[in-house]
Amino acid sequence: MNNSESMKAARQTGPKYWRSLDHLADAPQFRKWVDSEFPSGAEAVADPVTRRNFMKLMSASFLLAGLGMSGCRRPEEKIVPFAKQPLGYTHGRARHFASAMPTRTGAVPVLVKQDDGRPTKVEGNDEHPDSNGGTNAFTQASALNLYDPDRAIRFAKNREGVTREAGLDAIKTIADQAAADKGAGLYILADQAVSPTRDRVRDLLLKKLPGAKWHEYEPVDHDIHRRAATEAFGLPVRPYYKLDEAEVILSLDCDFVGSEEDSALLVGKFAKGRKIDPVHPKMNRLYAVEALFTLTGAAADHRLRVPASAVHRVAAEVAAKVLTDAHFDKPGMAVVKNALVAHGSAPDVQSKWISACADDLKRHAGKCVVIAGQGQSEATHLIAHALNSALGNVGKTVDLLPVPAAKGGSIGELTAALSASKVKSLVILGGNPAYDAPANLDFANAMENAGEVIRLGYHEDESAPKKGWNIPLAHYLESWGDARTVDGTLVPVQPLVAPLFAGMTQIELLARLAGEAVFAPYDLVRETFFGLAGGKNENAWKRFLHDGYHAGSAKAPVTRVRLLVDRVTAAVKAADKQPSAGGAEQEVVFYPDSKVDDGRYNNNGWLQETPDPITKLTWDNAVLMSPATADALGLDNMKGFRDGQHDKILSESDSKVADFHDGEHNITERGEFHPEIVELSLGSRKIEGPAWVVPGMADNVFAVALGYGRSRDAESTGGAGRVGDGTGFNAYPLRAEDGMKFAVGVKVTRTGRRHQLACTQEHGTIDGRALIRETNFDKFTDAESGHADFAKGMNMPHPPGMEELPDHGLAYKNPLDDLRKNATHSWGMAIDMNSCVGCNACALACQSENNVPIVGKQQVIKGREMSWIRLDRYFSGDVNDPQMAHQIMVCQHCEAAPCENVCPVNATTHDDEGLNLMIYNRCVGTRYCSNNCPYKVRRFNYFDYNRRPLDDLYNTPLNPWNRKDGEWELTRWYKDRSKGNIDDDQWDLLALVRNPSVSVRMRGVMEKCTYCIQRIEAAKIAQKVKAGASGNVEVPDGTIKTACQQACPAEAIAFGNIDDPESRVSKLKAQARDYEVLDYLATRPRTTYLGRVRNPNPEMPDYREAPETFQEWEAHGNHLAHHHGHDHDHGPGESHGHDSDHAHDQHQNTEHGETAGKGGDH
Amino acid sequence: MSDVFPKWTNKLPLRIIIGLGVLGAAVTMGVTYYFTPKYTRVGYQPVQPVAFSHNIHAGQLGLDCRYCHTAVEKSWFSNVPATSTCMNCHNQVLKDDPKLALVRESYFQDKPIEWVQIHKLPDYVYFNHSVHVNRGVSCVECHGRVDQMDEVFHAKPFSMSFCLECHRNPEARLRPPDKVADLKWKWNEDPKVAEQHQLEFGKDAVKNWKIKSSDHCSACHR
Repeated sequence: MNNSESMKAARQTGPKYWRSLDHLADAPQFRKWVDSEFPSGAEAVADPVTRRNFMKLMSASFLLAGLGMSGCRRPEEKIVPFAKQPLGYTHGRARHFASAMPTRTGAVPVLVKQDDGRPTKVEGNDEHPDSNGGTNAFTQASALNLYDPDRAIRFAKNREGVTREAGLDAIKTIADQAAADKGAGLYILADQAVSPTRDRVRDLLLKKLPGAKWHEYEPVDHDIHRRAATEAFGLPVRPYYKLDEAEVILSLDCDFVGSEEDSALLVGKFAKGRKIDPVHPKMNRLYAVEALFTLTGAAADHRLRVPASAVHRVAAEVAAKVLTDAHFDKPGMAVVKNALVAHGSAPDVQSKWISACADDLKRHAGKCVVIAGQGQSEATHLIAHALNSALGNVGKTVDLLPVPAAKGGSIGELTAALSASKVKSLVILGGNPAYDAPANLDFANAMENAGEVIRLGYHEDESAPKKGWNIPLAHYLESWGDARTVDGTLVPVQPLVAPLFAGMTQIELLARLAGEAVFAPYDLVRETFFGLAGGKNENAWKRFLHDGYHAGSAKAPVTRVRLLVDRVTAAVKAADKQPSAGGAEQEVVFYPDSKVDDGRYNNNGWLQETPDPITKLTWDNAVLMSPATADALGLDNMKGFRDGQHDKILSESDSKVADFHDGEHNITERGEFHPEIVELSLGSRKIEGPAWVVPGMADNVFAVALGYGRSRDAESTGGAGRVGDGTGFNAYPLRAEDGMKFAVGVKVTRTGRRHQLACTQEHGTIDGRALIRETNFDKFTDAESGHADFAKGMNMPHPPGMEELPDHGLAYKNPLDDLRKNATHSWGMAIDMNSCVGCNACALACQSENNVPIVGKQQVIKGREMSWIRLDRYFSGDVNDPQMAHQIMVCQHCEAAPCENVCPVNATTHDDEGLNLMIYNRCVGTRYCSNNCPYKVRRFNYFDYNRRPLDDLYNTPLNPWNRKDGEWELTRWYKDRSKGNIDDDQWDLLALVRNPSVSVRMRGVMEKCTYCIQRIEAAKIAQKVKAGASGNVEVPDGTIKTACQQACPAEAIAFGNIDDPESRVSKLKAQARDYEVLDYLATRPRTTYLGRVRNPNPEMPDYREAPETFQEWEAHGNHLAHHHGHDHDHGPGESHGHDSDHAHDQHQNTEHGETAGKGGDH
Repeated sequence: MSDVFPKWTNKLPLRIIIGLGVLGAAVTMGVTYYFTPKYTRVGYQPVQPVAFSHNIHAGQLGLDCRYCHTAVEKSWFSNVPATSTCMNCHNQVLKDDPKLALVRESYFQDKPIEWVQIHKLPDYVYFNHSVHVNRGVSCVECHGRVDQMDEVFHAKPFSMSFCLECHRNPEARLRPPDKVADLKWKWNEDPKVAEQHQLEFGKDAVKNWKIKSSDHCSACHR
């Protein structure tokens, strides 16, 4: 066997699941990527500065260094204490305040950390009665929005800055005019919010000014849940899903773990039902019907892919199957049943799937739930309510909570009034309607028909009036306000800092418009609270602000409800007439982006650079389609849309190697994607975007994410910010009122042009190893099948000779063993893959906590992204209908860490508590450690990302032509070495978001996950301070939560002392599902994973005997090791003997990591 | 031809070697002395905006360090007091003294006093005051006899080896926590007896308080 063949054979020892289509096809481009540590150019010196030039310039800098000997003396620094000490403030101690981040349909209860007067980190408030402390990615990233350098920082008239007084005068003029006219001609367009104070002030205004009109608009229709429930039951109610109490869940295009507004809450409840108690194993089952491949689809046990326009037909068939069963054919339901049975069958739908799913629902009547998504029409929602009613789920797994009845008209009605010149004064509260309103309304132009426009906006963006006023909106971290979480609990919105740019809140503007004498938001919110809490009770108010919620204010569910069957039948009949995609008909689906939402986070660099959980695209959106749909278009999908003219572009680029700034014609090499741009048209409306194949999407569907395609105009007003400028393409121009969620009849044509995308799906690929370990629930609980111990049973064979070595395959005695005996704690982490849904909250939390920089699109293309958490996403099985698995990959804190051995300067070492430390001030940047890391979790600062503008990274200060304001950059740097050449306004603001407890890393040093060492040390210090002159120094379990663990809504991450058998992490690690990734390398990682268990239904047509990853693993000649029974009760550190008779058995069940106890204590 | 290299050149290589050796030793010694905190920091004594004397306040009047440096037991940072702390006494004592003009101006005009920082660690070092003073490490170990200084100066080098010296041998420096802020406190006037006491107490403290002063990087670098 020659070398390359044996290499190939080695690759195939493990399973073969894939991250991209190239990976599946083992395309040469992909192979090149995997075989090298870094993608194209990452290690190449490609600076335009030649060696000769470099020497010349360096000698100049040496000279300067000589002149600067005074630099050896420290610069004089000042300590500036207060003149008068404020009460309760201790410098250096972070303070936490309870608040809430308002969302469109509720709020996320949060605790915000304040360091020396500035909010730096947002965390979930786990004391809130309906929260486990988890948050979603947006909540984590919202801290950066506060310090967005491109937010509206001034009062502006006609897009020119004016004084605040002038702005306030303008508001007063409009208020006086409105008062005189009794409100006639005053139109208010607001975004959606659930704020009792805003409702109260709005009602006050409408009472005082009866002629005024209130309109609401949101580009993403999360309000459909309330509207549909209100329609179905004839009462103002909103469904509240208790997913934790459901044993069977049917999602009708509802991405409740991803794009739904209350995802953090729903993920928590869903994950609760998927946690496996090792003694009494039990878990829920999820069926998903969806068009896109969403996170919910990835979490599902059965997934049916149908176009979004056909989901209601599937829903109707399921409902018909349920209702034809005499048991569920309740009185009154007959009408619905008849409508549904008469209903034509959905195209391309497997009827067996539907009937087996319906049977499962029927078996779990009262213990199941049907949930429809925001991207679905009202008909689908009504059918879901009919199903829940018939199955007796209402009041059990789904509560109907009373909500205030909706008030106000639509944006369409407002536009009609504008066109009819009825609008004297238009007030826009939040949102960005000029950008995201339905295209047929042409709202941006219609706005100009208003007599006077006042817009309260967070940015001076597209909606900043060309003629009129733009008033800066206060961020929620600098506002007084209130909200109700989804369960109805009243929560406060408290400011952590005074408005940085004199921003105003919505309630203040409304109160000023209403001519109220009291318009300070604090007073308004207090008054509302006293009204709701029953009287002026200062203590209750203080308690409210302290706790972050008003205890007992959750809404009691409405119990006496009756489904209005005729409304359901009417909706079903109407929906039946609508066309569905399939055959020759194609549809376009508009979905809120996982990163920028509807565009509101467009200027948030953390989110822009976080890979989409499914596509793994950063800094862009794309036209998503299934492989078959791409084939039909003639796009070469198996090449993953890599450039077909790969070689040509490569040779072109040879002549201009140094041209890094030209994004369109960059060096094309491994890991780069240049998909073709396609044009989507609906009638006369057209958009263009790069095509991207997502395996497992429904055919005939083109999905486009909203929120991109914004640009910044020359005057830097009226557009996107500097971060969001030019990212992606704008999908809004294709979207009209008749198809806000999806539209059938889209025409797609190829343009022949290409666009480069930054996709991280192949970054850090570990090929052909049993990384993902999954089994089915029935096998897992069946002692005979041998799957109870599947996770360890899939351990890989050790290299020959390793078994004979002492100390579990380590050639040398592990020095950590001695240290550990003396240590107070031994830190470890367990990640439950059964709970993880891949939502990105952890990645954003880590970014915020650990000062992780962003690097920009061009650097991501080169594989230089800095995020410490890499969320690996794997497909497995059929390319048209694969299964998906997620794995959060971070530094594993190996006890025998390969990175440490190769560091020439001891910049990465271990401490006695088992942390793999990274000492930035020692690191000289050899990158050997990264090269030697089998998990590919180390990140290198190729540039001074914190101190340089991302579009100017390559411009070294040594370059004599690198001038700013006429001054050589090196000279400027010498005068002020504290900052790079980043713009002053960006520098001043972005410095505020940094966590002062974590070093900000400079160019040339390596970094990686530290297990949040700053939190560990803070907890240890707090414990020692408490201990004083006593020995009570052990940190109690649960005190330390790493940032990722804290943010995780699924509670999938446990961290703690693995020497304490009672700690949560020890208990998880003792479970049978626990395994080490790349166990055969004997790195003894402190981070271990709990294998995933899927719970498929054997009656389903798409039932898989075992998960695809497992089947593939077996197909490569592997099989589960012979077992000694259930072994989650064996002693810590115990290892099973190696049976020499099975020397060739590759999978003896030897446990190598002493994961649960100190070595040698058995 | 034989005149090309005169005779004295025979000794030249040896001289060069010796010369280089001497030069190398001088450079090494120079660098180890002049380029280390022992030289660059110890003795640093900037002029402060207000001539505050620790000698008078802490030494002669016997004010506890923690009367002004209130955060030292709670925070990583030992604060310089706000002007209001000075005015607690100086609204009665020396209330018209011209030397306190700046203090009064600061207090009444709500304008902070800009003190010059003396003790400073690099940004990548995370030192925490609270954990040291609560566990029996006295102020004097790092700051010297501040109670005898009229104008505070940098008394100790604050190099990494300075920190490690104590972290590797905490027995020699731990004292009862109630004596932490008493800078002149000794076990005994006789140094030999004092050392004996210190060692006994230190060993017990390390054992009973479970002092594991870390010499791993994670102790200070994050």
